[in-house]
Amino acid sequence: MKAKNMLALLVGAATLLVSSFSWAADELVIYSGRKDKFVEPVVEKFTEQTGIKVLLHSGKSTALLNKMQIEGARTQADLYLSNDAGNLQKGAEFGLFQPLAESLVKDIPAGLRGTDNSWVGLSARARVLVASKNAKDLDWAKSVFDLADPRLKGRLAITHSANESYIAGVTVYMESAGEAKTKQWLEGMKANVDGSVFNKHSKIVNAIATGQKDIGLVNHYYIYRHLAKDANAPIEIRLPDQDGMGVAWNVAGVAVSKHSKKQALAQKFIAFVVSEQGQKIFAEVNSEYPALPGVAAAAEVPAAGSYKVADVPMVKLGQKRDATIDLIEAVGMP
Amino acid sequence: MAGIVVLTATIPLLFVIYSSMQLSASKWAGLWSSRLPELLGNTLSLAVVVAMLCLILAVPSAWLTARREFVGRKLAIWLLVLPLTIPTYVFAHIYTVLLEPNGWLGQIWQAIAGKGAVIDIYGLGGAASMLALATFSYVFLLSYTSLIDSRRSLEDAARIHGASKWQVFQRVTLPLMRPALAAGLIVVVLHALSDFGAVSMLRYQTFTLSIYLQMSGRFDYQAAAGLSLILVTMSLGFLVLERFFRRQQRYYAGAQTRFVARKQATAGETLMIWGWLGTVALFAFIIPLCWMLAWSYEALVQDLIDSKFWGYTFNTGLVSFTAATVGVMVALPIGLFHTRMRSWLSTTYVQLSSIGFVLPGPVVALGVIAFVIAVMPNLYGGFAVLIMALVVRFLPLAIQSQESALSQLTPSVEQAGRIHGAGPLENLRRVILPMIRNGMITAWVLVFIDVLKELPATLMLRPVGFDTLPIRIWIEASEEMLELAAPAALMLVLGTLPALWIMMRSHAVRR
Repeated sequence: MKAKNMLALLVGAATLLVSSFSWAADELVIYSGRKDKFVEPVVEKFTEQTGIKVLLHSGKSTALLNKMQIEGARTQADLYLSNDAGNLQKGAEFGLFQPLAESLVKDIPAGLRGTDNSWVGLSARARVLVASKNAKDLDWAKSVFDLADPRLKGRLAITHSANESYIAGVTVYMESAGEAKTKQWLEGMKANVDGSVFNKHSKIVNAIATGQKDIGLVNHYYIYRHLAKDANAPIEIRLPDQDGMGVAWNVAGVAVSKHSKKQALAQKFIAFVVSEQGQKIFAEVNSEYPALPGVAAAAEVPAAGSYKVADVPMVKLGQKRDATIDLIEAVGMP
Repeated sequence: MAGIVVLTATIPLLFVIYSSMQLSASKWAGLWSSRLPELLGNTLSLAVVVAMLCLILAVPSAWLTARREFVGRKLAIWLLVLPLTIPTYVFAHIYTVLLEPNGWLGQIWQAIAGKGAVIDIYGLGGAASMLALATFSYVFLLSYTSLIDSRRSLEDAARIHGASKWQVFQRVTLPLMRPALAAGLIVVVLHALSDFGAVSMLRYQTFTLSIYLQMSGRFDYQAAAGLSLILVTMSLGFLVLERFFRRQQRYYAGAQTRFVARKQATAGETLMIWGWLGTVALFAFIIPLCWMLAWSYEALVQDLIDSKFWGYTFNTGLVSFTAATVGVMVALPIGLFHTRMRSWLSTTYVQLSSIGFVLPGPVVALGVIAFVIAVMPNLYGGFAVLIMALVVRFLPLAIQSQESALSQLTPSVEQAGRIHGAGPLENLRRVILPMIRNGMITAWVLVFIDVLKELPATLMLRPVGFDTLPIRIWIEASEEMLELAAPAALMLVLGTLPALWIMMRSHAVRR
């Protein structure tokens, strides 16, 4: 028993000790919904140039927003980073962010920024079709809406409907083509997949590469990731709706927390990451499109400006999100 | 004392209730129409199938290892308990990869069943199998303990009265095992109800998914709370069912009787025994372990294991150790109170403290955050909050494991202590605790293991800059960085070994 008492005492002391540990006063804390691997390069360069240390607190984008909401003024976040413009816009609507100075973000196109600059987009991802090179009878599929065609029954690969990129894509389609058409499309896809959906985009690309499925709806960089591992995979990218609404884009972005005690430092980070150098590092690690015009994306991806992009401002992804989810649930997408 | 603990454990529930009350009626209707009945059906079927599979896997195994002496018996016990070191989402991840046409198992299956044949792991069958593999050890452990500790007198009495061996098993042994089986199955069912990672990976959509949808799709933690309330009601239903099966029963025999001895198995029998146990162990532990070793070797070769990795390991150990210790200390008053009184109040206490387990991790986390920020904001952001949430989350594990031990406590020994003048605390320390020591150790180990593997609550509540191994697995595996996820998973296995060893040793001490 004595040993047990000692142990309990030690644990109590350790707990007290550890609960009071915190980070240094000049460290920035980023609540990040983007995988560490894709944020670390730009963070490291930032620290190298400015000497300001950054702590990445990873989690699911939306869980982090919920956390910030409940934390209120006691939040530990200085910055919030997310892969989805919808999340960023929602965060702005909840009043969690400090609007950025116009001078800081003026070079980023207005369609990729939040209302009154409460958040700024950093890199874009395109919602494209990935098709099997070996599949027969597939050349006619040129639009996202073609995925509802009964000829694709059992051959279609999509993610489950809770995926944030999926939801963002549907929002763009609703804005561009209207609710009725989008509803029809969802119902068609539901029939084609018959309850069987993928929980990850990378699995979709895999399935197409191994011939299990013929066509899928993914973010563009998954295709290039797969090709980087296996250059001979029989998959190809198809930029949909070039004679129609254009390709849906989504943008990863960052915002400064309203209750951050290090506003000046946080803004330095923003300044770095929207600069040409920061943009290049941020986007290239995942083959995304830099938001800053004039900075090229990775060589293998179709160049921005070489294809038609849907004309939907990113803030709509947040504003119309609830309507999108209502529709998805009404159709009963898996 | 028990009351205070229960109050703290109900914080997430209060948060859930409060948030649910802010939902309007139309929103409730909206929730009902969006696939809720289907999800409910799915979840219940999953719970039932997993429970059955666990019984099939655990009970024969427990009986064979507890009642037969054979070569490698101790090894077999270890192998059957080790699956607890692997989180459900890792199981699901490993088997989906292995069963793919170009995975190890997929290739074997194609050799057997012909080219193009694929075992489809997705859906109810796959999800149930994964959960069963990951959690049957709970049932095994508790059954094994019960069989080892059971006394001969009851079984001898049955034999004297002319019962055949099978009848003895059916009418004496099995009923005596009921508290252990019930406790084990409740743990399994609660795991099945609240699991998200494995189940969503295998595309079987349960109730917890709809909760996550509300939280991640709509930022609507109120709607998520409403749904959680339904989940809680479901689990309460199961808990009540369990109590019903256990009501009014006392499971102790006189203190003077001997334990049941193990019978030596013949060579043929040993072969058959190992055939069964070996197959279970193969799928539940050996195959995943080989996968982890293979990918960890890759990581080693690529020089990916650095000092940060050891930092995560230390963090994980610290959190698990603290949470388990606090959890067991906190569960004891409730368990004792209930065993002694068996009143509706004590039963309610036990039910209420089990709430934390079925509430999804993020909901528990939000509840604790809201409470701490409202009541003791200075504590927020520190380690203590994380421990609090983890204890609330895993309290039922501790209570259930202690309970089956506590229910075998004979009142006479306890009373003997009191008669001799020991005060309640001293009685606790010198009489009760030593007798239920095994139960407490089991409880500690089980909480330790579950906290080790915990992901969603830790993800939300961890102090900034404090990452644990499961978090690293989640971060790396979700981007298919298998070389980085495997070493972390392996570390979890290695880290659990000492705890398991402590628990096994405490049984060896007996006999």
